[in-house]
Amino acid sequence: MNAPISSRQRILDSIRSATSSVAKPAAELSTAYAVLPRPYIRKGQMTASGRLELLIERLREYDAEVVEATPDAVPAAIDAQLAASGKHRFVAPSGLDPENLVDGFDWKIDYSLTTGEIELAEGVVTAASCAIADSGTIVLHHGPSEGRRVITLLPDWHLCILRASQVVETLPEYFDRFRNAPALITWISGPSATADIEMTRIKGVHGPRFLHVILVRD
Amino acid sequence: MSTAILDPKLAPPFREAVLPVLRNPMLRKNVAHATEVIQNKRAKLVAEKTDWQELRDAASAIRAHVLENLGAYLEQFEERCTAAGGLVHWASTADEARQIILDLLRQENATEAIKIKTMTSAEIQLNPYLEAAGVTVHETDLAEIILQLGKEEPSHIVVPALHINRSQVREIFSRTMGLKDLSDDPKELTGAARHYLRQKFLGVPTAISGANYLIAETGSVAVVESEGNGRMCLTLPETMISVVGIEKVLPRFQDLEVMLQVLARSATGERMNPYTSLWTGVTPGDGPQRFHVVLLDNERSAILARPKERQTLKCIRCAACMNHCPVYRQTGGHAYGSCYPGPIGAILTPQLMRMHHAESLPFASSLCGACYEVCPVKIDIPAVLLDLRADVVNIERKQAKRAFDLMYIGLRIANMLFARPWIFHATQRMGRIGLRLFTTKDGWIKWLPSIGGRWTENRDLRGLPDQTFHEWWAARAKEAK
Repeated sequence: MNAPISSRQRILDSIRSATSSVAKPAAELSTAYAVLPRPYIRKGQMTASGRLELLIERLREYDAEVVEATPDAVPAAIDAQLAASGKHRFVAPSGLDPENLVDGFDWKIDYSLTTGEIELAEGVVTAASCAIADSGTIVLHHGPSEGRRVITLLPDWHLCILRASQVVETLPEYFDRFRNAPALITWISGPSATADIEMTRIKGVHGPRFLHVILVRD
Repeated sequence: MSTAILDPKLAPPFREAVLPVLRNPMLRKNVAHATEVIQNKRAKLVAEKTDWQELRDAASAIRAHVLENLGAYLEQFEERCTAAGGLVHWASTADEARQIILDLLRQENATEAIKIKTMTSAEIQLNPYLEAAGVTVHETDLAEIILQLGKEEPSHIVVPALHINRSQVREIFSRTMGLKDLSDDPKELTGAARHYLRQKFLGVPTAISGANYLIAETGSVAVVESEGNGRMCLTLPETMISVVGIEKVLPRFQDLEVMLQVLARSATGERMNPYTSLWTGVTPGDGPQRFHVVLLDNERSAILARPKERQTLKCIRCAACMNHCPVYRQTGGHAYGSCYPGPIGAILTPQLMRMHHAESLPFASSLCGACYEVCPVKIDIPAVLLDLRADVVNIERKQAKRAFDLMYIGLRIANMLFARPWIFHATQRMGRIGLRLFTTKDGWIKWLPSIGGRWTENRDLRGLPDQTFHEWWAARAKEAK
């Protein structure tokens, strides 16, 4: 591994000599970073209900289906969504609230399912970490109730249970809420899509083609 | 189908490369249509963002700060990524990067790899190198599959197949996938690609990607995409190799709050792209358990040394500059002879080649400034173009041919004319009479002999008016008396 090490030194030396007149000493770097201009909008101006309305509007623009439910009606809402999907085999992350695993469907809980087992599922039900109203984005941090990345990727149909208290208006508000980056994040804005052929938007290339959201007014 | 050469070392100068394109009305129509659609979508979404200029200011400041302190941030990224279980490799040149990637694939005994669209891999011409070494590479982005199966070259950095229309895609897919009954409905074509790739995603254990951002603070890597092919490649394989230009670092996780707001709006005219993935080294039980980052210099550190040119590396590859460029919109990407076309390519490619190749690109611009106006990180592309033009002239000045080159002789004569008003006016009158011979009835000059032909070989010229401004002014003053 001698060659890569010497390349490392060569590149860093070359960068250092190229930036010698402008680079900050190590001790001053964080101060220089802190004074970078950030004049953009951080905090949203909307009321709580306005924020939720905006999120619903944005999600629907992405062809996602959104229904609202009170906290005690979540299992019933899940039941209705699953029944309407016409599908039977579902995956759920190991940390999903057991009352959400409604009767009458074939559930596979992901303790360590194989890719083949997940591929056989027709849909997946998960929680989420946050949603950003401004862009209609749902954020997964892949904790126990959101599951490994693969379970929200292979099944064609994704039902996401989102609590109203998890909804922020702007993207900077999301970053204010999560100062420390989780190791894994997926930001999802509508179902997978492409516009590679004549800029015609086509829903569903490789990720789930159908995104459903239950918004819980908590 | 395509004869484009996207190797700057071999590609002909822009004004020659552009000729076949200008004679290809279908390609021009495809490019004009696609860029117009993106322009309109972008304009609508930028207009609704009341803090757009403030976001640009912040994005520009963050990127400039990174470049000025690149050494410190790269070392921090390396340390944190390594601590999280990633392996960081450094490549000074394209050749070294290719070699590192091939060695890693050989360690895995890989005969195949799936790939997320990465311009950096196109820059180092990775696919032909791996194919020659016996590794089959499967592109997984829809546009990249169209290009790979159709043996075409990319003509745009975000929508690489925008020069190909639906009936051409139908022809490529039905021929290479053996689907006789395929229609040209984009939905059906997309479905064919989904089916074609599914088994590759599930069966090939090694993946290659680029990256949109490296986060120094956490050692994380972020990939921005639309289709989910990226997520497939990032999640299903056992080994992931990401090849990334050294300039792609951001200081902190929080900087994404700016970048993710400007990137999708600028690139595809969306509030947010469907999927953005961030991962940090290796996570037990989730995704590839072996993760490599290959940091590529390939002349970038040399670009850093020049204060005006340094901003070239602020680029976040959104392609807004090419979508808005009046030259690119006429020519498409192939004429630029590089995987980086358009205004950003016109400044990036010659610098990556140390000005030894692609010297014609800084002249492939009208300097209208549209690129600067839409750039989300405020790269003053016209200023860099001008600086690079000066470099080209400085190189040519040292060459002996200059004394005999018609262009330089012409410029010296022009210098003499412009310095002496009476000769200038006399020349104008003579030119008017002379040019009438070449002016068509609709008032345009479409062909000129000799040196003048350098203009008309790929542009039309407006015929000279019957009266100059000076003559009109003098006549007006006379009438007033």
